[in-house]
Amino acid sequence: MVLSALACVLVAIVAAPLREVLDLANMVMLFLLTVLVVAVSLGRNPAILASVLGVLLFDIFFVPPHFSLAVSNLQYLITFAVMLATALITGHLTATLREQAAQAERRERRTHALYEIASKLAGALSQAQVEEIVLPFVAEEFSGKCRLLLAEQEVPGDLPGEGLAPDHVARVIETGVRHLDRQSACTLYLPLKAPMRVRGVLVVRTDEAPDEADLAFFEALASLAAIAVERLHYVEVAQRSEVDMATERLRSSILSALSHDLRTPLTVLIGLADSISLAVPELPAPAEARIAAFGDQARRLAGLVGNLLEMARLNAGSVKLRLEWQSLEEVVGSSLKLVGDAFGRHRLRVELPRDLPLLRFDAVLIERVLCNLLENAAKYSPADGDILIAARSLPDFVELSVSDDGAGFPESMIGEAGDMFVRGHGESSIPGTGLGLAICRAIVDAHGGRLRIARAPSGGACVVVCLPRGEPPQIEPEPA
Amino acid sequence: MSATPRVLIVEDEAAIRQFVRLALEADACQVIEAATLADGLARAGEGGLDLVVLDLGLPDGDGIDFVRAYRAWSEGPVLILSARVEENRKIDALDAGADDYLTKPFGVGELRARARALMRRRPRGEQLPPVIEFGEVVVDLSRRQVLRRGEPVHLTPIEYRLLAMMLAHPGQVLTQRKLLADIWGPSYVESSHYLRIYVGHLRQKLEDDPAQPRHFLTETGIGYRFQPAP
Repeated sequence: MVLSALACVLVAIVAAPLREVLDLANMVMLFLLTVLVVAVSLGRNPAILASVLGVLLFDIFFVPPHFSLAVSNLQYLITFAVMLATALITGHLTATLREQAAQAERRERRTHALYEIASKLAGALSQAQVEEIVLPFVAEEFSGKCRLLLAEQEVPGDLPGEGLAPDHVARVIETGVRHLDRQSACTLYLPLKAPMRVRGVLVVRTDEAPDEADLAFFEALASLAAIAVERLHYVEVAQRSEVDMATERLRSSILSALSHDLRTPLTVLIGLADSISLAVPELPAPAEARIAAFGDQARRLAGLVGNLLEMARLNAGSVKLRLEWQSLEEVVGSSLKLVGDAFGRHRLRVELPRDLPLLRFDAVLIERVLCNLLENAAKYSPADGDILIAARSLPDFVELSVSDDGAGFPESMIGEAGDMFVRGHGESSIPGTGLGLAICRAIVDAHGGRLRIARAPSGGACVVVCLPRGEPPQIEPEPA
Repeated sequence: MSATPRVLIVEDEAAIRQFVRLALEADACQVIEAATLADGLARAGEGGLDLVVLDLGLPDGDGIDFVRAYRAWSEGPVLILSARVEENRKIDALDAGADDYLTKPFGVGELRARARALMRRRPRGEQLPPVIEFGEVVVDLSRRQVLRRGEPVHLTPIEYRLLAMMLAHPGQVLTQRKLLADIWGPSYVESSHYLRIYVGHLRQKLEDDPAQPRHFLTETGIGYRFQPAP
């Protein structure tokens, strides 16, 4: 402003001695030139000042009567008006041109910067590196501070300097819409919108409010950072799943080696015990009885090892359910056949409704559940007791229950909770580890069902297995 | 079946071979042992076998490969020995042509029963007797008539085909895949729910207690078995 005023005064002083030589029209030209120069070098507002000042100085120094604002001839008023208008328009146009040139230059610089950031981000190997690339640039270009907050991380309470609002951060992540907070300094929250989802927030704090061009630039910066963050995320996911797969392979190969190594000697034990009774000549009766007991114990051990390995497989997560639409009646039938020997003089009742829907489950595993429940029922109830298998269909579930008229579960076990290896009857003489029930629970849970321990009307034990109902596939009707 | 049936055992564990031999010799069988797949195939190539007892996990290869190779020249019965957790391998072996399986650990009683059933089996290609009886049911295949306690039982065409297929393989495991492909067609091999429904119908029409079947048995995770006399 001062420079602009000085320029006008200088022109007036230089031109004043030439007053007699030069025509007034040329004087006007000199002042217009000044306005042009001021507009080019100093911008719009100084140019306006120079326009007004030029007209005044022209009036005072060059229009008779000199050194007065008074005008001898009214025609000069038209001169002043035209001169002022010309000066203002020239000044405005020139200043606009200058601004546009400056803007274009800035845009080019930023585009170049974005390009550089993009190429650097493409090589970034960690989230810290992404921050290192983005932050100095914002500091340099906008003398602002910025911070990269990722959706998975805790939102820290402070941005260097001042606090930032975690609720803004949360909202931006949720909605994916940027937010400008104008309190104290300007804080801009930009969503890191990646193709899959919003990955976090880029927080930028500048002293001045950003204009449209700045906002567009920040948006571009945020999307570059977002893509880099997402790329890193998937790199991490891929690495993690590779490690998981290796661990998984190791675990299942150990399990299968273990199961083979345990099963082979057990098969031999059972087989040899059985084949002794084939010996010719026949063994004396007491020896036969001992051998039979030996075989029974080996079979029990095999059952136990089977359960242990099954539990290990379930816990290791290496069990892949073979889900098929199955008939509950069929699995009840095959389980009863498998554990048939366990029922001595027990009276067995099976009460299944005829219209049970098909359910989607792994038949081998559910058969395991039923076998365990039936064996428990046979073990923990009187030798001539009743065992009831019943089912009923509910809107979302089918409930299958196995109940007996033994002593039942203690009060503390009734309900849906349950730990591994909890036995209903402490250290009783009945063999068992409580493992069976734990396996049942793990299998039912894996099917999205529930296992509930209840009390039968007779006071005996009742275990209820709830399996979710689905939409069984249609059966094409048979052509009649 | 010859007077002394010849049985080949292919199993890498000597102790298991030993008791299988004891059990089968008690049934007056002549037992040949092989510890590897290659040796097993060489012995099988000598011919004249009435039964092969085959372990699926052999040191020099998969038992399934043995089944495939053996089936190239022989229709003789094959009994698989395998671990419980290996349902898929059992199914593959059965689909490849094995006839039955035993899950380790198994008792000698089961082994002898399965071996006898397989050796008694009607050779492939021989015709079924026209009238088959089991429990209280009489099936007259020549007249497509089914009687239960003397009363005619109405079966739909698919139910009848399923019944006939199971009757044609008494005591034998039929995999789900095989049943579905033969009765409904190759595009139905994954639609196991058809089997559940139709086997359920057969049980309801022909069994005393459908929840505790005595003839149409489920081999869980594998398929079905028709048991003529329990």
